[in-house]
Amino acid sequence: MRVAAVYKWARGVDGATVHADGTVQWRVTKMVAGEDDHAVLAVAQALAGDSDGSVVGLTIGDGDASWALARGVTETVSVADAPSLTDEAATAEILAAAVTSLGGVDVVAVGDAEEHPGVAVALAGKLGWGVVAGVTRAAVTGGRVAAVRRVGDVEETVSAATPVVLGVAAEAAEPKAPGMKELLAARKRPVTTTTLADLGLDPVDPVDQRGTRVPEVTAARLFDGEPADAARALVAALRNEGVLR
Amino acid sequence: MTAPTWVLATDTALLTTCVELARGAGGPVTVVAAGPRELADAAAAAGPDRVLWAEPEADRPAESLAPTIAAAAADAGVRVLVSTVAPAARALLGAAATAVSASVVAGAVALSVDGDALVVERSALDGAVLETLATAGALALVARGDEVAAPDGAPAPVEPLAAGPVADLRVVSRTPVGGASGVRDAERVVSIGRGVRAKADLELIGTLTSALDAEIACSMPIADDLGWVPKERYIGRSGQHIAPRLYLAVGIAGMPQHMEGVRDAKVVAAINNDPAAPIFRTADYGVVGDLYEVVPALVEALRE
Ligand SMILES: Cc1cc2nc3c(=O)[nH]c(=O)nc-3n(C[C@H](O)[C@H](O)[C@H](O)COP(=O)(O)OP(=O)(O)OC[C@H]3O[C@@H](n4cnc5c(N)ncnc54)[C@H](O)[C@@H]3O)c2cc1C
Ligand SMILES: Nc1ncnc2c1ncn2[C@@H]1O[C@H](COP(=O)(O)O)[C@@H](O)[C@H]1O
Repeated sequence: MRVAAVYKWARGVDGATVHADGTVQWRVTKMVAGEDDHAVLAVAQALAGDSDGSVVGLTIGDGDASWALARGVTETVSVADAPSLTDEAATAEILAAAVTSLGGVDVVAVGDAEEHPGVAVALAGKLGWGVVAGVTRAAVTGGRVAAVRRVGDVEETVSAATPVVLGVAAEAAEPKAPGMKELLAARKRPVTTTTLADLGLDPVDPVDQRGTRVPEVTAARLFDGEPADAARALVAALRNEGVLR
Repeated sequence: MTAPTWVLATDTALLTTCVELARGAGGPVTVVAAGPRELADAAAAAGPDRVLWAEPEADRPAESLAPTIAAAAADAGVRVLVSTVAPAARALLGAAATAVSASVVAGAVALSVDGDALVVERSALDGAVLETLATAGALALVARGDEVAAPDGAPAPVEPLAAGPVADLRVVSRTPVGGASGVRDAERVVSIGRGVRAKADLELIGTLTSALDAEIACSMPIADDLGWVPKERYIGRSGQHIAPRLYLAVGIAGMPQHMEGVRDAKVVAAINNDPAAPIFRTADYGVVGDLYEVVPALVEALRE
């Protein structure tokens, strides 16, 4: 199977400061791969390994192709001039065009991100393929993809015909990040760059941002000072809530 | 006439919340229930104008119906689609959004109409900010929010959705995991994180769980990396999702991946020696202090 592993490269959420007036300011922070993307790659590599297939890395916009190259992917494509869009369907449209132009892709593995839970499913919609979301691991059996996910207290295995999109969710941080040697070697490997024009795209974002505000959250009632006093105050508050025995 | 709004449901979670969000579009609201008859009945009671019911074939997941539902949404001229974040419901949303050329926005908490525009408020940056977005086009929303009670009144009529094309997906196995741990249904849970320094300190924590008649749980590293507590007791995105009346976090930072597991807890309290710990932003009550002093004090206070 030919598996496209989609990954992103963006500022991490902790680089944003929300001011009291609700405006958001981004500090200059290093870019990070999507939280799920190491699991995306693991799933893609497992499927390729099971089927004597191959993995092609795919990223858009700021994506740093060496991220995938340092993790054993030899072929990677970047849509370098793709803008950052609010509409996840518009992002999916760019990814779909890129997948189509790769040709012969049987499976797309893409992060099922908490912040962007619409990208994987909209991508499947744009491609007209089936999708299994919330996947944590996958294998090839009988020419089909067996995708595993947890639904409540049940581990469910869904068998999907190809072509199919898998929305992959990481269960933990990346176990072992590549070292300096791999990173330096990766920077020397070739990257195929395409443009929106090559893909025949001229993306518009139909969604405008009108503003941001701070949610009215009630911060925790904090008890500090002497542990004995704080503990008594907490117990009183919890009794008052009716949550103690 | 205002364009119709469809809520796409594959389970009962947040059904009424989604219908209320959908009401913001001002048009008639239909719940498309992809699942067993009980789901259609629950949908009918959640306050929509009608329910369209489609039952997947045996051994097929709900998302196998995505092509049928997408085609029907296009036929009906749907302008607004709503689903929860549940993977199956989102799969339906992605297909239908494409069929009606809708933009996709996640984290939606409120919807309204302003002239020709649909205006959505959504939670972003791990809940740190609410963002107002507007579009003149069609909109597919992944909803976020808390469970609300179903409205009073007669249930909406349930009509079958005509059969159509299906995606080639099959459920090949369903295995129960980690259900037996006791932490799932506990009324009170004491949960420990890396603020606890040694496995031997579980004895101290044990005095607190006894005093509270609580079950023990933990953050992921305590179970996964350290193995101090069985794996089926860690809480969070990748672990258990629980809804106790009291969740007392001891030495837990409160990272978003952890807090996802206790979104439905009634009261969250935390003990942490760092006043800036993220957990104090989501907890209801907190004690700022060293857990090695606060836990014994708490046990004492509970005896009083
Ligand atoms: C994809 C992904 C999925 C994940 N899923 C989960 C998940 O499901 N569940 C989960 O729990 N985590 C999950 N994580 C990990 C999560 O991001 C955090 O790393 C983890 O929850 C941190 O655990 P902690 O709070 O115990 O440890 P730490 O972050 O080390 O926090 C320890 C806290 O204890 C406090 N402390 C230290 N000493 C004391 C003292 N003496 N008294 C009082 N307080 C003290 C510190 O101030 C600190 O706030 C996931 C991560 C990723 C990337
Ligand atoms: N799975 C994904 N693959 C590629 N790009 C994505 C993915 N998810 C989101 N994006 C885009 O990545 C950019 C950065 O997003 P953010 O994390 O909000 O800074 C935005 O343009 C998103 O639409």
